[in-house]
Amino acid sequence: MFKKWNPKSSNAIFGLLLIAPLLVWLLVTIGYPLFLCVKLSFLNVEFIGEKGVFVGLKNYINVVLDASLWHAFRKSLFWVIGNVALQTILGFFAALILNLKIRSVSFMRTWIVLPWILPTVVLAIMWRWMLSGTFGVINYLLEKLGVISQPINYLGSINEAMPALIFINSWRWFPFITVLLLAALQSVPQQEYEAAAVDGANSLQSFFYVTLPNLKPVMTVLGILGPLLTFNVFDVVWLLTQGGPSRATYTVPVLIYERGFKAFALSEAATISVIAFVFLAMFVVVYLLLTKMSVSEYARE
Amino acid sequence: MRKGFYVIVLSMVLMLVFAAFALAKTEVVLWHMEQPPHRVEQFQRTIDAFNKANPDISVRQVVLDWMEAYTKVMAAIAARQQPDLMFTIPDFTTAVKSSGAVQPVDDIFSYLGERYDFIDAAVEPYNYDGHLWAVPAYGMVHMLWYRKDIFKETGLDPATPPKSWEDLLNYAKKIAEAKNIYGIGVPASKHMYTDQAIYTFMITNKAEDLFDEEGNLIFNNPRTVETYAFYKKLYELSPPDASSWTWAEPQLAFNTGKMAVAIEKGQFLLPFEKESGVSGENLGCAIVPIPEDGQRGSIYYSNGIMVLTSDNKKHEAIKKFLDYLFNPEVNGEWLAGMEPGLFLPVTTNTLQSESFWSHPVISQYRSHVELMIEQSKYGKLFGFTKGRVNPNIGRISGQNILAQVVQKVCLEGVDPAKAVEWGQEEMLKALRK
Repeated sequence: MFKKWNPKSSNAIFGLLLIAPLLVWLLVTIGYPLFLCVKLSFLNVEFIGEKGVFVGLKNYINVVLDASLWHAFRKSLFWVIGNVALQTILGFFAALILNLKIRSVSFMRTWIVLPWILPTVVLAIMWRWMLSGTFGVINYLLEKLGVISQPINYLGSINEAMPALIFINSWRWFPFITVLLLAALQSVPQQEYEAAAVDGANSLQSFFYVTLPNLKPVMTVLGILGPLLTFNVFDVVWLLTQGGPSRATYTVPVLIYERGFKAFALSEAATISVIAFVFLAMFVVVYLLLTKMSVSEYARE
Repeated sequence: MRKGFYVIVLSMVLMLVFAAFALAKTEVVLWHMEQPPHRVEQFQRTIDAFNKANPDISVRQVVLDWMEAYTKVMAAIAARQQPDLMFTIPDFTTAVKSSGAVQPVDDIFSYLGERYDFIDAAVEPYNYDGHLWAVPAYGMVHMLWYRKDIFKETGLDPATPPKSWEDLLNYAKKIAEAKNIYGIGVPASKHMYTDQAIYTFMITNKAEDLFDEEGNLIFNNPRTVETYAFYKKLYELSPPDASSWTWAEPQLAFNTGKMAVAIEKGQFLLPFEKESGVSGENLGCAIVPIPEDGQRGSIYYSNGIMVLTSDNKKHEAIKKFLDYLFNPEVNGEWLAGMEPGLFLPVTTNTLQSESFWSHPVISQYRSHVELMIEQSKYGKLFGFTKGRVNPNIGRISGQNILAQVVQKVCLEGVDPAKAVEWGQEEMLKALRK
C-alpha cells in the first residue's frame, strides 16, 4: 500500500526539508492535542485546568459499559449513512445539471455554493424558524398545498428530527460535492464521448461507460472524506436539537461535548474521543484495503 | 560630563515610568451573558457613567453566550486569563468554583450589606462552605401570563385567571376548543427553560426538594411523579414545536396570539404591545396555579456577580464599582433599562427607587411587577432548598435531567413513574462522577 522510501536519497532529504514547516505545524496543532487527549483519558480530570490522577483503564471501562456510547454510535451511523447518501445523490445531480451547456449555468454555478458558505449559526436559525411548527413557512406551504392537514414538528419529534437534520446538513454540504464532481466531469476527455458515439452508444450508455468510470477516482476519495467529515459534525446538531428530542439526534460529538462541558467529566469525554478516533482510523484502513488504493493515490486524486 | 547626562536621562525615564504606574488605571474586566443589544447598551451606559465618575478605574464589559460561558471561563482560568468579574447563576457558580479561581466575596458583601438591604432569598444560594461566592445582582421569577383579550373572546373572566391545576387544564381546553388556538404552552425541549417550567410545577406540588436533610437524592417520589403526569396533560395542549422551544418561541407564540397562557419570567412586558398589536391592558399576570394540597411557589433565582481576581487593587476597584451599581437609583435604572420586568431588584433600597418604578414599561405594568416581587418570596431553586447546597447540582442542571424526564414522559410516552425513576438514576450517575 505504501511506496518504499529511501531516506538516504538527496531528493528525500530535500523533500523532508520542504514539508518540515507543515509537519511542525501539524505536530503542534494536531499531534500535541491528540497526545493530551489520550493522556487525559487515563486521568480522572473533571474540569478544565484540573491536574487529575492516573486511573488506568477505568474511564475506558466506564465508557464502554455505558449504554449512552452505543446509542450515540448507532445515531452517528444513521447520521453518516443518511448524509453521505443524500449529499452524493444531490451533489451528483447538481453536478450533471451544471455540466450541461445551457443558459444561466454560470449564474447557477455561482449561487449553488451559497448554502455552503453560510455561517452555521445563520443557517441554524433560518431552518429553525422555517421548520417551526407554529410559525414555520414550510408547514404553512405544505398545509396550503394540501400535503399535510396539521403542522409537522420536524425538529421536536423523535421520528422526524434526525431526517430533518440530515436534510439540513446535506443541503449545506451538497454544493461541496457538486463542485468536486463538476470539476471531475469537466476533465472527462471529449474524445471518449466521441468514440462512444462512433461505437453507437446512446446517452445512457455514454453515462455508464464513459462518465461514471471517469468519476470513480473522485467518488472513491469522497467515500472516505464524506463519512469522516460527516461523523465529526457537531455545530448543526447542537444548534438545532442539542441531541434531542429524547436523544433522537444524540450523535458521538454531542455525547463528547455533553460529557466534557455539561456533565463536567472531561476525562470521560477524552476517552470517548479516543475511541471515536480509533473507530474512524479503522474505517480508513478498511476502506483503503477494500478499494485497493494506496495513500499516495488518494493524495493525487 | 557624558556620565552626568546619562544619569539625568535615566532619572527622567524612571520618573516617567513611576508616573505612568501611578497614573495607570485599574482595569476591571467583566463578563456577562446578557446578549440582546438593548441589554448590552444599558450595561455600557452604566459602565460609562461609573468610569467617568472614577477616572482611576476602567470597567470593561465582554459579552458571552450562556452556552459557551462554562467552556470559555474554564479555559480562561486554565490560561490565567480569566475576567475579574463574571455574572453567574447559583448552579454555574458551584461548577466554576471547583476551579479554585472563584474568590469569596464576604468582605465586599459585608461592605455593601452595611449600605444596602439585600433580600435573603437572593443571597442564600451563594452562601455555602463558610463563604459567600457571589454578590446577587438581580432576581427572576416564573409567573402565569395570560391574554385577557383571548379570555374575553372565549367567555372566560379575565379578572379570574386559573388558580388551581384543574382550572389551568380546563381553561386551556376551553380556549383551544373555542378559538382554535393553543390554550397553553409548556416546553418539552432539552433546555433550561423546560427545567425551570417543570420545577415551577414541582414547587407548587411540594416536590421542590431534590435532596433530603442528609443530602440523599429524593427526586423519585410520588409528588414528582404526579407533577410530571400533570405536565404531560399541559404539553398535549401546547403548540407542536414546544418540544424544541428555547426562550424566543413561546414569547412570540404568546404575543402573536397563537397561544393564550404561558409560564415564564417577566420578559413579556417590553415587547408585548409591539408584537401583539393590542393594548398592554390585555396582558394578564397571575401567580402559578396550585394543586389541591399544594403550595404557592415558582422557580426563583438570583443572578450574581463572581469575583475571579485576587489582586487587592482590583478588589478595591470592584468594591467601588459594586457600590456604584447597587446605588438604588443607578441600580433601578440599570435593571429596568436592561429588560423591564425580567430583572427584579435584590435590595429593598432599589425596590423603593424612583428610577426603577418610573421606567415607562415598569410603570405601565406596575401591578404585574409588584406581583412578581411578591411571588419571589415564595421562590425556590432546585438543589438549593432546605438551606443546603449540593456542590454537584451543576452536573444535574448542566445535563438538563429534569427536562430529559419531561421528554421521556411527553415525547416518548414513558409512564411518569418509570421516567422519574430513570431521572433519579441519571442524577445518581451524574452525582457519582
